[in-house]
Amino acid sequence: MPSENYVFDIERNDGKGSIRHDRFQVPKKKISTVLEGLTYISENLDGTLAFRHSCRMEICGSCSMSINGKPRMACSTIADSLNSEVIRVSPLPHYEVIKDLVVDIDPFFEKYKSVKPYIIRKDEEEHNKELLQTPEQFKLYEQYSMCIKCGLCLAACPISGSDENYIGPAALAAALRYNLDSRDQGSNVRLDITGGENGTALCHYAGECSEVCPKDVDPSKAIQILRRSGIAHELKQFFRREKDARR
Amino acid sequence: MPGGNTGIIGWFNFLHKGIGFFAYAMHRISGIVIVLYLYLHFFVLSNLLRGGVTFNSLITSFTYGPYDIFIVMDILLSLVIFYHGANGIRLMLNEAGLGLKHHKLLFFVFESVAMILMLLFLYYAWQVLLSGAGV
Repeated sequence: MPSENYVFDIERNDGKGSIRHDRFQVPKKKISTVLEGLTYISENLDGTLAFRHSCRMEICGSCSMSINGKPRMACSTIADSLNSEVIRVSPLPHYEVIKDLVVDIDPFFEKYKSVKPYIIRKDEEEHNKELLQTPEQFKLYEQYSMCIKCGLCLAACPISGSDENYIGPAALAAALRYNLDSRDQGSNVRLDITGGENGTALCHYAGECSEVCPKDVDPSKAIQILRRSGIAHELKQFFRREKDARR
Repeated sequence: MPGGNTGIIGWFNFLHKGIGFFAYAMHRISGIVIVLYLYLHFFVLSNLLRGGVTFNSLITSFTYGPYDIFIVMDILLSLVIFYHGANGIRLMLNEAGLGLKHHKLLFFVFESVAMILMLLFLYYAWQVLLSGAGV
């Protein structure tokens, strides 16, 4: 006979290296998502449990955590869909833990910023009207603009787990998003960054970033496209240097 | 993120992962096996420097009598090489931007073709071994 409760097995971490597992009984009829389960625990069983959340609708990207061994958003993970009465929750791998399920997301955003994820214009000071774009031009990068910066891709990427300098899937997908934007004129700057030693060359196409992405951004595909553009860019640079040297 | 790193061990954690991760991890394992085999191969060949008699006796000890297990290892080696080669070609295509939409299907197609080729290779190798032409 199925139990009336879920058992939440939560990895508690004080951020100083001390780790323990706490188990909480959460009534099935009281919750739908894993985030609701965590909120129930926080409000009724243990007020010291630390976890991030905000929008509760997979928009803000705050409640990323490892649920039953896989990086997922707690707000959009239906407890019943896990087909298990025991729900194991732990902080995202590949991030420093601050407390319990709260991880330090700063390195993720530092990497994200490193690819210059904004429109770069050569006529920055000159244009004084809206930059127009057709629906077809928008479609080119729409998929990659759906990223909510939840950081799940970086947690799932085996390369990010073994090389902390790797820029990571989210940042590389963002680089492609802006490179494909018809209003942008900074693709060469970004290709220099993504084609560097910590960029696309480190990706070995495990595809886990795309498997866990809640918004179907498909970062692994973006990285391969970026890699191809990077090779073309590098060849162009090489022949330009050769040409200049001959002069 | 030094404290949060799973390191190289994380490359081999198959649990809750997709087929792409399986392909990735097996590519690494097969690559390591091939490199180790290469060194073993060089070691065995280096015995040629000690003369034909020494080399032949070494090879005979590897392939006959209680050491027949080396034939099983040869079969496993061919499995590793065919797997690694097929997945390598798929990765080259994907990394050149080809077949990205169907990379999982490509994995199955390439590996299936590789396994058929491997079985053909093993069949003919076995025939050669039975006829004694390879000895």
